[in-house]
Amino acid sequence: MKRRFGAILMSGVMACSVMAGLAFSTACTGNQKPDFVMPEGGFDTNKEVTITFYHSMGQDNKKVLNASLEEFKKLYPNITVIEEAQGGYDDVRDQITKEIMDGSQPDVAYCYPDHVALFNQSGAVQSLNDFLADGTYKDYTVPQVKLDADGNQLKNDDGSYVTEEVSLNLTQAQKESYIDGYYAEGFKFDDETKMYTLPFSKSTEVLYYNKTLFEKHNLTVPKTWQELGALCETIHGIDSKVFPFTYDSEANWFITMCEQYGSGYTSATGNKFLFDNKTNQEFVTTFTDWYEKGYFTTQSLNGEGGNPKYTSDHFTAQNSFMCIGSSAGAGNQLPPVTNGVPQFQVGITSIPQVNPDAPKVISQGPSVCILKQDDPQRVLASWLLVKYLTTDVNFQAALSITSGYVPVLKEEVMKTNVAYAAHLSTADENAPTTRANITALSAKVCMEQEKAYFVSPAFVGSSTARDQVGYLMLAAFTSKTNNKTIDQAFKDAIAECEYFDVG
Amino acid sequence: MTDNINEKEIAPESQEGIATESKVMKKRDVDKVSKKQVAVKVLVQIGLYTFLVIMALIVLFPFYWMIISSLKSLEEYNAAVPTLWPQQFKWSNYSAAFDADGLNLGRLFLNTCIVGIVSTLLSLVVTVLAAYAFARLEFKGKNIMFAALLATMMIPGELFTITNYLTVSAFQWKNTFTVLIVPFLVSVFYIYLLRQNFLQIPNELYLAAKVDGTSDLKYLWKVMIPLSAPTLISITILKMMGAWNSYIWPRLVANDMAHRLITVGLRGATFTDPLTNMTDYPAQMAAVVIVTIPLLLVFLFFRKYIMRGVSRSGIKG
Amino acid sequence: MKKKNQWKAWLYLLPTLLIIAVFTVWPIINTIRMSLLKNYDSLREIGGASFEFGFANFVSVAKYKGFLNCLGNTMILCVVTVPISTMLALVIAVALNSIKFVRKTLQTIFFLPYVTNSIAIGMVFMAMFTMIGYAPGHEPASVGIINSIIEAFGGTRINWVNAGSGKLENMVVLVIYIVWNALPFKILVLLGGLQSVNKQYYDAAKVDGTSRFRTFWRITVPLLSPMIAYVVITGFIGGFKEYSSIVGIFGDGMGPAGAAGSLNTMVGFIYDNLDTNQGRASAAALILFVIIFVVTMINMWVSKKKVHY
Repeated sequence: MKRRFGAILMSGVMACSVMAGLAFSTACTGNQKPDFVMPEGGFDTNKEVTITFYHSMGQDNKKVLNASLEEFKKLYPNITVIEEAQGGYDDVRDQITKEIMDGSQPDVAYCYPDHVALFNQSGAVQSLNDFLADGTYKDYTVPQVKLDADGNQLKNDDGSYVTEEVSLNLTQAQKESYIDGYYAEGFKFDDETKMYTLPFSKSTEVLYYNKTLFEKHNLTVPKTWQELGALCETIHGIDSKVFPFTYDSEANWFITMCEQYGSGYTSATGNKFLFDNKTNQEFVTTFTDWYEKGYFTTQSLNGEGGNPKYTSDHFTAQNSFMCIGSSAGAGNQLPPVTNGVPQFQVGITSIPQVNPDAPKVISQGPSVCILKQDDPQRVLASWLLVKYLTTDVNFQAALSITSGYVPVLKEEVMKTNVAYAAHLSTADENAPTTRANITALSAKVCMEQEKAYFVSPAFVGSSTARDQVGYLMLAAFTSKTNNKTIDQAFKDAIAECEYFDVG
Repeated sequence: MTDNINEKEIAPESQEGIATESKVMKKRDVDKVSKKQVAVKVLVQIGLYTFLVIMALIVLFPFYWMIISSLKSLEEYNAAVPTLWPQQFKWSNYSAAFDADGLNLGRLFLNTCIVGIVSTLLSLVVTVLAAYAFARLEFKGKNIMFAALLATMMIPGELFTITNYLTVSAFQWKNTFTVLIVPFLVSVFYIYLLRQNFLQIPNELYLAAKVDGTSDLKYLWKVMIPLSAPTLISITILKMMGAWNSYIWPRLVANDMAHRLITVGLRGATFTDPLTNMTDYPAQMAAVVIVTIPLLLVFLFFRKYIMRGVSRSGIKG
Repeated sequence: MKKKNQWKAWLYLLPTLLIIAVFTVWPIINTIRMSLLKNYDSLREIGGASFEFGFANFVSVAKYKGFLNCLGNTMILCVVTVPISTMLALVIAVALNSIKFVRKTLQTIFFLPYVTNSIAIGMVFMAMFTMIGYAPGHEPASVGIINSIIEAFGGTRINWVNAGSGKLENMVVLVIYIVWNALPFKILVLLGGLQSVNKQYYDAAKVDGTSRFRTFWRITVPLLSPMIAYVVITGFIGGFKEYSSIVGIFGDGMGPAGAAGSLNTMVGFIYDNLDTNQGRASAAALILFVIIFVVTMINMWVSKKKVHY
């Protein structure tokens, strides 16, 4: 009889765990949060509400954020914002996908469009349509504490705050203050009728060139890819040991070319993966030819093993004449200084185009989204925070100056901020040799291109497509040593995309 | 104590296999030993040391790299051609590590120590009991149960994370020390290791103890544990290392300041160079070195005990 | 006595079984459930999606055109690295145990890798094998320490890990990396095991005049056999789950630039699916489980014949 004891005990333990587990799983999954519904009486300023904001800012940017959160707290004293840095963008994404499962997701989060598509498989992301300038709640107002000229809260004699009613929704003026392309990105999901994100801070790719070397050899900065090809040949003739140019991101390069040619990359609906076409094969063949001639390198080719390494090291060492990289990384392109004199001058301009009259440049950088919650007051508080951070000129200015990213508001709006106007005015095209200078110059170049920004459609798996076209470019460049044709590289990339596509 | 016995016994590199030592030689009665034997002995020793020194240099290299990287400037660190010795020692990397915004190194230390010590102690108890049951006790289904436990190690654990996340969330264990300790108390790897060690201890001892009327628990405590001390210490070290290096799970379930562990804190803290906004890897590496030091001390302390070995005189093996 | 032991044994095992049941057995059951639901994804489940029941996930894993490559890479790495690292660790442990001068210092040195951060190990590998600034028509700024040595001896440098490097070269680097990583643990276990070996055997061998070489094979190895079996069996189990070392050297692309995925492994494939298709990831995990299980059973069967307790 005793012999069975163990077996019984064991099966008991197992059974308990299975039943308990089943109970948890039903208790914890499937608890989709409700869509926002305006509570009776609107936003309740008498109730303390705490919201969490996940981001991936470094310590300097966090200081800027915290200063602005203090200002926000003055305007809405009942809202407490907890900001948490989660590492990189992918860490924010991974943490949130887990937290959605047990319903503990944050209220507001940094996001890239494909992250939003991922979260939204569970219906976790709040649509912002009702809060827009012409949205459902456009007639609602919320009480906001009035501040005096020094930014102190005004109080009544009884100690309560002096408040004014402000619009809950975006005002028409606020809507128009966003750079149009950035604002429109928030709709780039599904059938493009719902807005899920607001832009937070942005960057694009720009061409950095060694002004000193260009002047010395009497070279012209290329406006088109054709001109770039010709220029490479010239530079190669001058010095075959250096790279005529470097391009950080292979994936961006491919996607930008598709956009500039209008030749098709991906689509959120129907046939998703459109990038295997004749035009694309042609430009990849051209670039492969350039690579074999030693015209350029990229961050993966330059990398250690398969780990990418920014190509700015070649540029600052004057081992390349040009470098195409993120505008937010302008600080990395600073020339080294010897005896107080910079070794060369840097010029910044727009990247080469297929058609300079209809330029296209990629839009990058974080947006913010609101995640649904059971308590509608939290959603309202989240909306007020998102609206504040994306439309407040002071915050946008300070963040841009610190981070190197560009504001999401139009230049004429930003110039009302004294500090930012001063920052932009330091952009001296003849001597961008300090960090502030080069950052300002790159911001200026970005802002001049505001009409040219594009984003690719976001869907679950759009990041797979992005990875795959990057690998495709590399496979093509090295096609001679890999014994793989360029056509095969395209076919492989499409096959991988389709295998991992679940939609 | 065992040094002079060990010292000359085993020479794996000896090819001819004639390097046996006689007691004669030990008495330095060199005259009777042929020159050839002396030469072989010297060669074996040289070979042994050469091998050990080369291997030591190889395993030491990353450690060395960690230290010098923590003392380089960011510029030197990023240089295309890596330098084997810092051009200039940048000690300020260490102060930068302490100053990193919101890092609170002291708190991280304390949390990690609490989790490390408690989980190591509890885990040792659980492991010893289980290993003893598998090594010494007879029960129905022992082999099947052991095989089943081993089998649980064979499923890639990446998939367990989500399920376990939901479990601890349902237990309301998020942001507690419990969630950092309990789920990892059992390691089949260690149970297996200790079982192997227990099995090496001759069964005769156990039977003799039984005849004397010694209880299992007393036998375990008085005989098995002392005889397995080196393995138990190895497990202690591995478990401590685990607490020090764990990252994915703690970050997911206990990322508040009151419970955050050292590795999570370090990876989360951003060390940025104020000039270029690039990640300041040397400062990050300095922080890594700082948290490594206590671990190193624990190690050096325990090394002595592992190497001391166990006295087994009078025990037939 | 026997009967008494029955329940006592279960009592000793109780804490272990409880924790395993909740944190291992339950997730395994959940894994099996997910593997049987076509393209299961937990986020989509919350969103209200339903999933077809059946073996579709297993079929789609088997249909993946990179599947054999993943499986092959995993097998090769396992079969090559486990014997090398075990032999090396055994020889080091025994050698360490049989010297006198600077013995403690050397022991300490062999313990240091434990406290070395894995980022540092990755960095060292880059310094050793990477050619920096490598591109057609360009002389690299640095060819790496290993290539410098090869060139110093009059050889031609080898493209180990850069764009266009061959799979053989990649594998050599990976094997060195994995062995390097695995050594400290194995040395620790074997050195610990050596301390428990009864010294009387050696005394007997000495009296008999047995050679060192014979002593090693006939006494040390058999006496250490339980620990060697442990190191080999756990080494194989760990080896089949190889993933992080490849990411460490080749990044998320799981291959050198231009040949992404060429070095992917089974666990790498599981990760590829984990974010958006946990059903398929679960199926792949279970397939891997069966493979590891079979190999471990073979290992156990061999060790049962050879291990001397």
